[in-house]
Amino acid sequence: MNTYRFLIDYFNDSPTIIQATWIVIGLFSILILGLILYLKYLRGHLRKKESITVAYEQEYEAALITYLYAGNDEEEISSEQQAIIDLLKNGAKEPFKRKILIAVLLKLKNEISGEVAESIQNLYYQTELVDYALSRLSHKKWYVIAKGIRELKQFQIKEAYNPVIIHLNHPRPEVRKEMQLYMVNLFYFEGLTFLDLLETPLSEWDQIQLLEILQKLENQNISNITSWLQSSNDSVIIFALKLAKIYNQLEAKNEIIQLLHHINKKVRLEAIDVLSYLNVLEAKEILKTDLQKRSQEEQIAVFKMIENLYENDDESFIMKYIHDDLFEIKIIALKILKRINREKFCSLKSESSDDSFLRIVNFIENN
Amino acid sequence: MGDPIIQNIIELFHYLFFIFSGSAIASYLVLAFISVIETVEYKRKNSYVNYKEIMSSDSAPSISIIAPAYTESLNIVENVRSLLSNHYVNYDVIIINDGSKDDSLEKLIEVYNLVQVDYLINEQIPTQPLRNGIYKSTNPAFEKLIIVDKENGGKADALNMGLNISNSEYVACIDVDCLLLEDSLQIMIKPFLETTDRKVIAAGGVIRIANSCVVKGGKLHDVNFPKKLIEQGQILEYIRAFLLGRMAWSRLNGLLVISGAFGLFDKKIAIKVGGYDRNTVGEDMELVVRMRAYMEEQNKIYKVAYIPDPLCWTEAPDNYKIFISQRNRWTRGTIETLRKHRKIGFNPKYRVLGLVSYPYWFFFERMAPVIEFVGILYFGILIAFNQVRWDYAFALIILAYLFTVFFSLIALITEELTYHQYKKKGTGIRLLQIAFLEPFVNHPFILYAARRGNFDYYFNKKKKWGEMTRKGMTKA
Repeated sequence: MNTYRFLIDYFNDSPTIIQATWIVIGLFSILILGLILYLKYLRGHLRKKESITVAYEQEYEAALITYLYAGNDEEEISSEQQAIIDLLKNGAKEPFKRKILIAVLLKLKNEISGEVAESIQNLYYQTELVDYALSRLSHKKWYVIAKGIRELKQFQIKEAYNPVIIHLNHPRPEVRKEMQLYMVNLFYFEGLTFLDLLETPLSEWDQIQLLEILQKLENQNISNITSWLQSSNDSVIIFALKLAKIYNQLEAKNEIIQLLHHINKKVRLEAIDVLSYLNVLEAKEILKTDLQKRSQEEQIAVFKMIENLYENDDESFIMKYIHDDLFEIKIIALKILKRINREKFCSLKSESSDDSFLRIVNFIENN
Repeated sequence: MGDPIIQNIIELFHYLFFIFSGSAIASYLVLAFISVIETVEYKRKNSYVNYKEIMSSDSAPSISIIAPAYTESLNIVENVRSLLSNHYVNYDVIIINDGSKDDSLEKLIEVYNLVQVDYLINEQIPTQPLRNGIYKSTNPAFEKLIIVDKENGGKADALNMGLNISNSEYVACIDVDCLLLEDSLQIMIKPFLETTDRKVIAAGGVIRIANSCVVKGGKLHDVNFPKKLIEQGQILEYIRAFLLGRMAWSRLNGLLVISGAFGLFDKKIAIKVGGYDRNTVGEDMELVVRMRAYMEEQNKIYKVAYIPDPLCWTEAPDNYKIFISQRNRWTRGTIETLRKHRKIGFNPKYRVLGLVSYPYWFFFERMAPVIEFVGILYFGILIAFNQVRWDYAFALIILAYLFTVFFSLIALITEELTYHQYKKKGTGIRLLQIAFLEPFVNHPFILYAARRGNFDYYFNKKKKWGEMTRKGMTKA
């Protein structure tokens, strides 16, 4: 009692700053105690959650396998299957269990094919999981919408086209990305029509993902890319150029040549690369005339094109660049010269006393 | 001490110490708050990303992993194998043998079937010359591997050689003994590819401590919490720095440091600014500051990204001698960089870099140990002259200690809610224990190393890197 009295008196007699310090100390002590208890609870909770997840996964996997093999020829859905549907439907009401159920369904769906995969797809409808996913599309939080679209894509729910496409120009790139992946995964090249209306940038990451999906498709007819090459959205043009390269769209040659004078350097660089790949000689002649006005990156890209499309007539042009300040251009110019006129190339060794230049010439001669 | 002028000066000192401590605590709290927001946002954005699609794509940009090695014969073969096991498709591994005095090169030649090749180097950044030359493997399984054997020039010089050799768009500069997770490159490249409104010039990753972890076939097999307090203290310190500090700076776009152990850079810009500075021991921080300054001077909109996922695991010092040597170097690196780029500090032309990042680093990283050391000395003098107001001292010391513990606990909870790496039963109590002990087991040595670092910077200019003896990670 005396100690308590002493502490109270000490506190009351202390200057304000010390009183404030002790109050903050008290506050921190309570917070620390709370954090210790929370940390203990959290670690226990995470461990428990992990083991419950595993248990539910096993339960749902067993139920799903029973469901798949419990069908008979007389009824569309057997009573045993109906019982499983009811069980899963009931479980799906809880977000935690729903998440596990979806993961198990997806795992199974990816492991099997044919009629059995179709049954899983039907089960997605029968358990009303599809409704939960569709309801997410109108949620106000972006990450809920993105996850909803992703799930609909994974279960290939084509009926969700309209509520998904409205997110075409969603302010969050993550939602737009999921929308784009949904379109291309489910509707292939036709799904790319979203590019007609896309007002926001299509990132390089998005483009790579879309191209990866498209390249896995077999016997698909590529859409007409001309309108995308003329898009007001530069990222759409760049994407269309990548498509032109992958799918050898030589018929779009004239539109691509126009892009050599596009205001955006990235578009011009991509156009040079595609025209080089498509072996469009006209482009080389155009680029040779205004090379000096172009950026260093473009000049290097043009030389890579000439390396690919060189002709004997290019010798005089090439000779102007064998001592270029840009290392890459100098190398390519010398390589082309070696191929066009070996004698002249060899004579360079006696004409120059610059060690670094001779080192390059020797390297190119030997490789 | 009865002179009123002296009394006023002493009082002024007290207020300065008090204001400094108060602003340090406030800044840590603000940073922690911002970090939590950024971490939640990052997790939401990336929880359902499919990295497999990007890693198999031919359209994915090229990356060179550049790893300098100096006298790493003990683990070099395993380390290279680990670097070659990344899942990304479009990458190569450039090992710079920086004049090693041991048999590193011979071991690599033997195991990876290396032969000398003719290679034209674009010497955009001056470096020490080649020693034995450049090697590639005759075995197609190791076609991604390039070994460069050069004269010793230090880590920065070796990295510059890697920049000259690389033909890729991006370079991942790492320590050769680091263990990268298999999907680390596709995770690190993401910000460069997904950002459309600005140029991402560099990305830094979290460094995790691999002491006591089990490595199998060059891959992280089992995460364990080490037994030594010095190692445990560093784990807590790294979690605090990476999850609560750098995450916030990333949000503010004010990140000044990308750890030299693992960082991804836009090669063109890294070369344009002249590559790594060979005259500093803090070459990792210095390059980032220089790249940022360059972008600011060019009036370009840019970003230095930060990835909180535990992608890179490294061995941390397990004894105080090496620990002090490492922290001494870090201190000198910070002083050198801030001094070299002093024109940035408090300069509105450099926006966040000049008005927020630089001042923060100057006051709370560069000056903090100095002020703390002076504070301790001053406290000692007060004790000697029997001038200590023990009621004040006692309360303030308890407050400082509790704040440290509180901040560590926030870091531990963030770790549990996000990456939850130390799952094993019993580790929780050890994490709590180190949160309470760390101010006594590691902090005094950090302070001592910082004082030595300051001394060496001003009075022992010849001191360079110091030693870092590797034991090698625990193999299964």
